[in-house]
Amino acid sequence: MSEAALLPRSPLAGLLRPVGGRGAAGVTVAERGSLRIAGLVARAGGAVLADIVRAAYGVDLPTSPRRTEADGLEFIWAGPAQWIVLAEPGADDLAATLRGRFGMLAAVTEQDDARVVLRIAGPRVRDALAKGVPIDLHPRAFGPGDVALTLAGHVPVHLWQVDDGPAYDIAVARSLAGSFCHWLRDSAGEYGMAVEG
Amino acid sequence: MRIPCPHCGERGFQEFAYYGDAGPKRPAHGGDTGEDVWFDYVYLRDNPAGPHEELWYHAAGCRTWLVVTRNTLTHEVAGARPARDVALERSAAP
Ligand SMILES: [Zn+2]
Repeated sequence: MSEAALLPRSPLAGLLRPVGGRGAAGVTVAERGSLRIAGLVARAGGAVLADIVRAAYGVDLPTSPRRTEADGLEFIWAGPAQWIVLAEPGADDLAATLRGRFGMLAAVTEQDDARVVLRIAGPRVRDALAKGVPIDLHPRAFGPGDVALTLAGHVPVHLWQVDDGPAYDIAVARSLAGSFCHWLRDSAGEYGMAVEG
Repeated sequence: MRIPCPHCGERGFQEFAYYGDAGPKRPAHGGDTGEDVWFDYVYLRDNPAGPHEELWYHAAGCRTWLVVTRNTLTHEVAGARPARDVALERSAAP
């Protein structure tokens, strides 16, 4: 009897294609694949939860649209008293770890396969994003560590700036990954878009 | 028209969904609440020309409900507060 092998497949498989071939690409995109992702919502208040996070990881849970990193984890603001937590591929079951730590203080939901996260960078990345993201990403208004819940085209996105490169991470619901990539190709096309990874 | 979300900062109204007048307070269920009181709560609205307190949902942002003060003549937005805070204040008031 033969056994069927089930292979993990990215929701972006076949969707990320480079645009333009000549010269250096103005925009580069890479999937941050196989991340461990958990949604975190503080129950009633959140002060005790913040204390536990500070004791366990040595950082403050952001209470404004910001991102913080500690111990291989990223804590990303996702609304009042809400965050998403990211861990690198291969990390232990993140949701179970957080549930063990926070108990009844927070509602933790496993989101590993619910979202795709793209890292988008390059000298023309702001010009490409400006075509569909309605918030101001100019350095005077938005910098490394800043987070926004907003739109790209008509697709809801959760984005944060990684560094001054500039590089941004954009998280999209997996069912909208196709629409998002379509929009990104159209927006970044004139600058040339390279796919990494 | 731009709405200053207390959580996200100022955003275009395209990110929000409009619900309506933030004024009506749901009557107590059962008891002495007459049909006329329910009719008033469900159907009857003022139509002010000027400042209006209304509920907006930041659907493409932080997904919270806000009470926005908007001038219905000019679309000038005077402010926005979390609906939760407004509701807590109202329920604390005698
Ligand atoms: Zn908001």
